[in-house]
Amino acid sequence: MRTDVLIIGGGATGAGIARDLALRGVNCLLLEMGDFCHGASGGNHGLLHSGGRYAVKDPTSASECALENAVLRSIAPFCIEDTGGLFVSLPEDDPSFADTFVGSCRKANVPFEELTAKEALRSEPELSSRVTRCLKVNDGSIDPFSLVQANVDDARSAGAKVLNHCAVTGMTVENGTVVEVEVRDRRGGIPASIVPEIVVNAAGAWVDEVAKLAGCRVPMGLDQGSMLVMDGRHCRYVVNRLRSPSNGDIIVPNHTSTILGTTSRPAGAPNDVTVSREDVDLLVRETAAMMPSLRERRTIRTYGGVRPLLGGGGRGASRSFAMLNDERVGNLISVAGGKLTTYRLMAEKVSDRVCEMLGSSSNCRTHKEALGPPANGKGDSISAVRLVRKYGRSASSVDTTDARVVCSCEQVLRSEVTAVLKAGDALTLADVMRRTRAGMGYCQGFDCALSVLEIMMEQNGIDPVPSLNEFLGERERGLEHTSGDQLRQEMLRRHVLNGVYGLGVRE
Amino acid sequence: MSYALVVGNGAAGTFSSWLLAKRGWEVTLVGRGTPSTALSTGCLRSGPNLCRAEISEFLNNEKMPWASGQREGISKIGTSYRCWMSPSHSTWKEGETPKSIAVVGLDGHPSLLPRVVSAMLNGRKIKATPFTIPSQVPSDVPLTSSFRKDEAWEGLAEELQGLSAEAILLPSLVGLQDYHRLDQLEGRCGRNVLEAITPLGSPGQRLADLMLSKAAEAGVTIWDGRKVTALDVENDAAIGATVVGGMDARHISAEAVILATGGPLVDGLVLKERDVSDPLGKFRIVRSKFPLTGGYDSLNGMLINIDGRPMVNVAGAGDCLSSGSREYGSGLTEALENAYRAVRALEGT
Ligand SMILES: Cc1cc2nc3c(=O)[nH]c(=O)nc-3n(C[C@H](O)[C@H](O)[C@H](O)COP(=O)(O)OP(=O)(O)OC[C@H]3O[C@@H](n4cnc5c(N)ncnc54)[C@H](O)[C@@H]3O)c2cc1C
Ligand SMILES: Cc1cc2nc3c(=O)[nH]c(=O)nc-3n(C[C@H](O)[C@H](O)[C@H](O)COP(=O)(O)OP(=O)(O)OC[C@H]3O[C@@H](n4cnc5c(N)ncnc54)[C@H](O)[C@@H]3O)c2cc1C
Repeated sequence: MRTDVLIIGGGATGAGIARDLALRGVNCLLLEMGDFCHGASGGNHGLLHSGGRYAVKDPTSASECALENAVLRSIAPFCIEDTGGLFVSLPEDDPSFADTFVGSCRKANVPFEELTAKEALRSEPELSSRVTRCLKVNDGSIDPFSLVQANVDDARSAGAKVLNHCAVTGMTVENGTVVEVEVRDRRGGIPASIVPEIVVNAAGAWVDEVAKLAGCRVPMGLDQGSMLVMDGRHCRYVVNRLRSPSNGDIIVPNHTSTILGTTSRPAGAPNDVTVSREDVDLLVRETAAMMPSLRERRTIRTYGGVRPLLGGGGRGASRSFAMLNDERVGNLISVAGGKLTTYRLMAEKVSDRVCEMLGSSSNCRTHKEALGPPANGKGDSISAVRLVRKYGRSASSVDTTDARVVCSCEQVLRSEVTAVLKAGDALTLADVMRRTRAGMGYCQGFDCALSVLEIMMEQNGIDPVPSLNEFLGERERGLEHTSGDQLRQEMLRRHVLNGVYGLGVRE
Repeated sequence: MSYALVVGNGAAGTFSSWLLAKRGWEVTLVGRGTPSTALSTGCLRSGPNLCRAEISEFLNNEKMPWASGQREGISKIGTSYRCWMSPSHSTWKEGETPKSIAVVGLDGHPSLLPRVVSAMLNGRKIKATPFTIPSQVPSDVPLTSSFRKDEAWEGLAEELQGLSAEAILLPSLVGLQDYHRLDQLEGRCGRNVLEAITPLGSPGQRLADLMLSKAAEAGVTIWDGRKVTALDVENDAAIGATVVGGMDARHISAEAVILATGGPLVDGLVLKERDVSDPLGKFRIVRSKFPLTGGYDSLNGMLINIDGRPMVNVAGAGDCLSSGSREYGSGLTEALENAYRAVRALEGT
């Protein structure tokens, strides 16, 4: 099979490139080895950056974030919660940092507004009364799953072919050109060999591994970060610590939960996402300094992601991105770094380059054309708003007259599962969860996994035991640090799944 | 007559009260909440090494006959469940797997998912076919309440008429009072009626009800819905306890106490972060990496106080005792054996 452009990687960047190229009329194919958002796009903090966090140390990235923040709010409001953000400093923080911050935001064009400590407490009542200074910015909370899916859907309607569960496993290079790409297809949709004109390597943390298939190198610093999901929403705003970026600085309200993050340590491999006990303690300790009540809240689970960072990695590394073109292989473009917030800009730059190489003169349209419906149409019910937030334009394909619920934690309708399965990309229980949120609530799939499985068997005929084990194993990975009530829930789960059903859940 | 206080309304608490009452003690059992016993499958996973005869007598009853030995049944999701003792319709003798099974689910109700279960069974080389019968029961309403009336059973028997399999696998539908209906159904259909092994449902509740009623029959005074909040201890002996129920708090005296309060799952032990501790603040706890296996330390059945000395008249039994060997989904047999040991310890034998 031949294609003008083969894009490797179905994270935000790859999906954004597919959409961008398709809207410019370029023939392209995107392959993702796992599900969409299998990498950092599914393992991040979900913060739509205002730019504030990078203003002092990384002004380029800050300006990029500030611009893209505004663009995403206009093209993809359905998957963004306009929470706003607060940067707060505590007595133990260096007071001069706040002044530097103000100056840097001005320079990087990051909009902000100063609040008095009293005003801050009034707008965010759970904040610590020790807050000394507070700046309000345009942070938001973004749902990466629905953002990426919307890019995929839009790319498809504009003519791109996009497949998940298809891994690129090899490349043949002749005379400095990739002439053939080998594919392992788990879903059954394409031949095992692709003949591309141009290959775009948007494999995130795997960017070097993919480059190696063509005999090139893209040296990256791999950096693991941990997050903690707390049951319930405990703040209106995104709350950031007003200090030089370090660990446990940010609290993001998201859907039915509040997410604490992040940490930073060198990662051994792109899938080295393991969260340590120390990370958990640190995140609670540091975020509770800003919002003391977080100590009392129930932690549902932990998860981690790996950042591909330019240069050496770590907190000091730039959050900007780079496009690399190795002379030895002329038709391979690698892109990495950046943020979820800046994915569209990265996609635009890459697409510009691709078009230049193809000799096409068409311009980028992704900043102007909506990715989905406007947010919370006035007068809509809560459930309608929830559907739009998860499915964007596809929300209308869910049959809401069928009131049967499969996941009571997240109030997921049976017909959502049916609609998602009909769309064809969901092969596993986890795939269904990423799209519908069934299994993301506090019981972590204990209640709904079987019902979802029953529907999947009806519609797709999947093999039940491996599917269940795969799903429960994945959920389990985030539960090893649970405590208190959530640990009790976890013990009950194990009594049933391990003890009674004899499923292979890890000890 | 000696006066004993037993704390905990699960397997360990009811069995030890029953044993004590049989031996002439005057017993008060204080228990509150849903015990793990009621959350379990109602089947004893392992065969007891101790007091087999007493366990048989304790569980023996008119309403629900038991089967014991090497038994096998089908879990609610279609995997194999092996145990030593179960209600007669839950399992078959190991090695006598039915040749073919019709898996019956109620439409839209998650109690038994026929497609999942059949696929699991077929994967295990057991011939199974899914069968769904119409139902109006909402997914969050337990089936037992809808299967109390004769008409419901009439309707079910009719639906099952045409099935040709050797055995019919049903979701759990019956409480203790209605267990005989499974025999009746078997008679009407002329096929084996099997009940899927179901945790968190009526089978566990049946067992807990049965145990409590046996204790009551033996003369145990049962204070349901009440909690022991403090023990009075003098010279390594308990002399009384504070019992709270709603607004009412009273003090009772006791010559012997058995703590059968269950593990951290049911709040018998306090769980803070990942650590278990004694809610009464009197006894030594053995901690473990898995909170499930941590619990009270004991010596020959008697609990050890925080100063490290064995108590004279306070014994422990069941999930509240530390146990390195306890696994998820097992523990009923251990609870019964512990209870027997606790009673013997109090009697000084
Ligand atoms: C802990 C953490 C917190 C973060 N928080 C934020 C935040 O709050 N806000 C924000 O804006 N950004 C945040 N980021 C950054 C953001 O997540 C990433 O910049 C962004 O998701 C990168 O997207 P990507 O598409 O480039 O990479 P990825 O999402 O990693 O996508 C790469 C994809 O390539 C696929 N792939 C790899 N090899 C192959 C192959 N051989 N064949 C086919 N497919 C392949 C992978 O499966 C993967 O899905 C965070 C990152 C981390 C790690
Ligand atoms: C889902 C599940 C499935 C299981 N399946 C099986 C199985 O198939 N086979 C098997 O053998 N085992 C199984 N088990 C394990 C078994 O249920 C337990 O090991 C056993 O029931 C423990 O009995 P117990 O009497 O020690 O505690 P429990 O049954 O938990 O009873 C303790 C009771 O004491 C009460 N209590 C606590 N403190 C106080 C107080 N201060 N005052 C008054 N009352 C108090 C508690 O609320 C509780 O009701 C399962 C367990 C679970 C959770």
